[in-house]
Amino acid sequence: MAKKNLPVIKVRFIALTVSIVLLLVGMFSIFFNGGFNTGIDFESGLSQRIQIAPVGLEVSYDGDASATLALDNSTITITTRDDSGAEVKSFPSSTYATASELADGLNALDGVTATAVDGSLKTADILSGYGFPATLSSDKTSLNFENSTGDTVSIDEVREALSALGNVQVQTVGSDASQVFQVRLSTNDGDTQASMEEAVSENLANTFTDEGFVVLESNFIGPKYSQTLVSGSILAVLIAMVLILLYVWIRFRIAYALSSIIALTHDVLMLLGFIALFKFEVSSTTIAAVLTIIGYSLNATIVIFDRVRENSELMKNKPMQEVIEHSVTQTLSRTILSSLTTVLAVLPLAILATGSIQLFAIEMIFGIVIGTYSSNFIAPSFLYWISNGLANKKKKKAIK
Amino acid sequence: MKKRDRLIIVLLVLLMCGYFLYPTIKWYTAVPQETKDLASGSNEQIREYARGQATRDLRTIKDLVASDAEAAVPAEFVYLEKTAKTNYKAMKKDVPSWNITTLCAGFYTEKDMFDTIEQHYRTTIVGVKTLSDNVLQLGLDLKGGMSILLDADTAAYEEKAGKSASDAEIKTLVNQDIEILQTRIDQFGVSEPEIRLQGDDQILIEIPGATDPERVNTFLQGKGSLLFQIVDETLSTKLNEYFTENPSEAYTDTGAIKQPDFLPAGKIAAGYYTKDSYGIDELQRFVVIDSEIGLDGIHLESAQTGTNGITGQPVVNFHLDAVGGDAFYKFTSTHVGDAMAVVMDGKVKSIATINEPIRQDVQISGFSADEASALAIVLRTAALPIELIVSSQQSVGATLGEDAVAAGLEAILIGLVLVVLFMVIYYGASGLVADLALVFNLLIMLSVLSALHFTLTLTSIAGLILTLGMAVDANVIIYERIREELRLGKSSQASIRAGFGKAFWTIMDANITTIIAALVLSQLGSSSVKGFANTLAIGIISSLFTSLFVSHLIFDATVTDKEGAKLHIGRVK
Repeated sequence: MAKKNLPVIKVRFIALTVSIVLLLVGMFSIFFNGGFNTGIDFESGLSQRIQIAPVGLEVSYDGDASATLALDNSTITITTRDDSGAEVKSFPSSTYATASELADGLNALDGVTATAVDGSLKTADILSGYGFPATLSSDKTSLNFENSTGDTVSIDEVREALSALGNVQVQTVGSDASQVFQVRLSTNDGDTQASMEEAVSENLANTFTDEGFVVLESNFIGPKYSQTLVSGSILAVLIAMVLILLYVWIRFRIAYALSSIIALTHDVLMLLGFIALFKFEVSSTTIAAVLTIIGYSLNATIVIFDRVRENSELMKNKPMQEVIEHSVTQTLSRTILSSLTTVLAVLPLAILATGSIQLFAIEMIFGIVIGTYSSNFIAPSFLYWISNGLANKKKKKAIK
Repeated sequence: MKKRDRLIIVLLVLLMCGYFLYPTIKWYTAVPQETKDLASGSNEQIREYARGQATRDLRTIKDLVASDAEAAVPAEFVYLEKTAKTNYKAMKKDVPSWNITTLCAGFYTEKDMFDTIEQHYRTTIVGVKTLSDNVLQLGLDLKGGMSILLDADTAAYEEKAGKSASDAEIKTLVNQDIEILQTRIDQFGVSEPEIRLQGDDQILIEIPGATDPERVNTFLQGKGSLLFQIVDETLSTKLNEYFTENPSEAYTDTGAIKQPDFLPAGKIAAGYYTKDSYGIDELQRFVVIDSEIGLDGIHLESAQTGTNGITGQPVVNFHLDAVGGDAFYKFTSTHVGDAMAVVMDGKVKSIATINEPIRQDVQISGFSADEASALAIVLRTAALPIELIVSSQQSVGATLGEDAVAAGLEAILIGLVLVVLFMVIYYGASGLVADLALVFNLLIMLSVLSALHFTLTLTSIAGLILTLGMAVDANVIIYERIREELRLGKSSQASIRAGFGKAFWTIMDANITTIIAALVLSQLGSSSVKGFANTLAIGIISSLFTSLFVSHLIFDATVTDKEGAKLHIGRVK
């Protein structure tokens, strides 16, 4: 025994205090932040389909009646409605082939002012957007035309334009040339569908002033994971813990089983507190991180406990404290090496990657540190307490 | 076990990996994009394509014969020689030397040649389609996929329930649909679909990869209704005669079969369908069946696909529950000698004569293997509380930008390289053994996952590498033990024996606890948790194999106690 034993049991009260303080910080941050910062995986959000399309025509109306503009089968209809009834005027694209021809046709109507922004655009390419039929007013209503120039906007430009809104998901829909994009963002406190739609439009308008865009569809979508799925998973984790408890009980002893489950719970709560403290967005990758840490920490604890069990036979006359400290010391090189290889595997991700995968890596590194700490300090301390407690009880019984 | 036997086991596992990985490698390297696009089309589209190609090729051949009867057979048509040769032999003629005219003469009719060409195109595309079921797929974040919007069929629901449903009720029903769809689409939790409620009565589904529209239909629309009903032969004959004489009377405007007036109450006209070689339902004839239901599919307890030993056709073996078995026994005993129809989703799939009363085990044919397994899945999961109608179907691009994917993949690669380097630097030659085990581990995991049609997302790739980082742990435990033994002054071989021996139960206990967690989660968890758990379980088993079996074999085979030989396992003292 050349090496000095690590005094893990000696410092057990310090370790316990550190853990309790950290756990309290975590619980308080969950409480004060009003739960977790859930992303679109767990929360409802806004889903919009937008199309980058140039504005070809602007229409305004300053008459006394109300006027609506509708588009059906590339025919523009203007319905004016006043006390005497409704009047419908149609402008099919077969007759009014270009934007400038359509503008001339519309200008002939009372109170309607139409300005062709790009007179050469084909009216067969007019897009019907979200919010159609549109009510005309003295503010200009824009008519967008499908982009036929071949000058396309890339998905990266759209992502860039919306980056100010936080974690926004952008996907192309159909072929690249169709210039249709799907935009998704999660709801934050106080957001309404209208306020989110406005935010998206504002950010797009700032970037695509020249190109123009039209919102084709706007919808509220539900979360990817419903409440029942989450509670089902939590139940599954609890059942798994009970079975692990039974296995360790059978293979080792009840004291080992209880302390390993305590350490495991400690790690999960720590990780959750950490996520809440830094307001990390909770997504499906967070679930993966928590589950991985359960596996990792359990592994580390069992390896140490296995040594304790082996040494209890070899060092029968030594006190429990020395047996445990000696075992932790013997497995120390393995503990360091295994943590190191695992950290090495995820460290580059934490530095280089972005978005949810970067968070996953950061959470993993934190989890590995906590798992290593708990398997070397918390789990052995509880093993010491519980074994001593049980031994004392036995002694008392024997005396009686 | 002898070293030779152990080596054979390792080679067998390697062979299995190759077998499972072959489709993935072929898919991503040898199949041209054009063929992939064709294969992702519907069966109707494939049929159209194959017939179009066959028409074009036949014209090319005929033009060639007209311009130069002695011309050599162009390379693209050489495959026809095989069929022509068989035909010549069947006609008891000598096989001539090939040119375009002798080739044409090797076919009985022009139609015969057309069919052969069509079959050539069909097998190619259908083969690729089958291949695509066994490859590692790229997820929505990396590659995109298909987005499907479904509307709840409130009208049909109200008709069935006999009352109007409030918006809140519809929302609850649609939410139940979502959970059922989760299990139908993602059986192993490895497909990574996204299924969300849109508005109050729509479901938005995104499935990675170029998804075949027909598969989507089987999962979404397949009501999974399977009924056994008695066939009325006399009326069937009459109905077929009637429809042949009055073809315009056969269908309603919506394409459903009309119920002619002469059918008495309690009898239904239905169509008997078989699959053509593209897997498309083709109407064979009309059948009149009793509206009384002999057995409802809800009594099926399990459904397994198999092949009939004599005909070689795919069959489904159904096992009925006790209630269904009793009812079916009663039903079949009163109808011995009658013909019984198996009706799936309103279509008659097969007709069989009842020879004797049947109780709990039913074997029926008339299904393709795909259809049978889809049916088995649908039957095993609950029926949808409210039916769904496909409202739109569109392809969508990746959710992650190219930069993000590139940075992520680079980071993952760097992580893997760091682990590999670390092991070599720290443990020397023994580190190389651990690295070899690690690569083997990766190979095993990828091959099992591709057999499951696993979807690779950036996160799941990171998870895989992380599993590998953790799998090194088993080797670390063994090596540290060996070093302890060496420190005690034991010989190399004795240290290895003791090291592996003592580490065995440590590793087993540590991994069995994790595997317990994985198995529970894979049974009870929701889809993505399930996928995670399955991957974890596969990872643990393969790392146990590579560390305890493969590394051990390498050590036993290479380390000797000979004078001068030294075990390279890092610093011992």
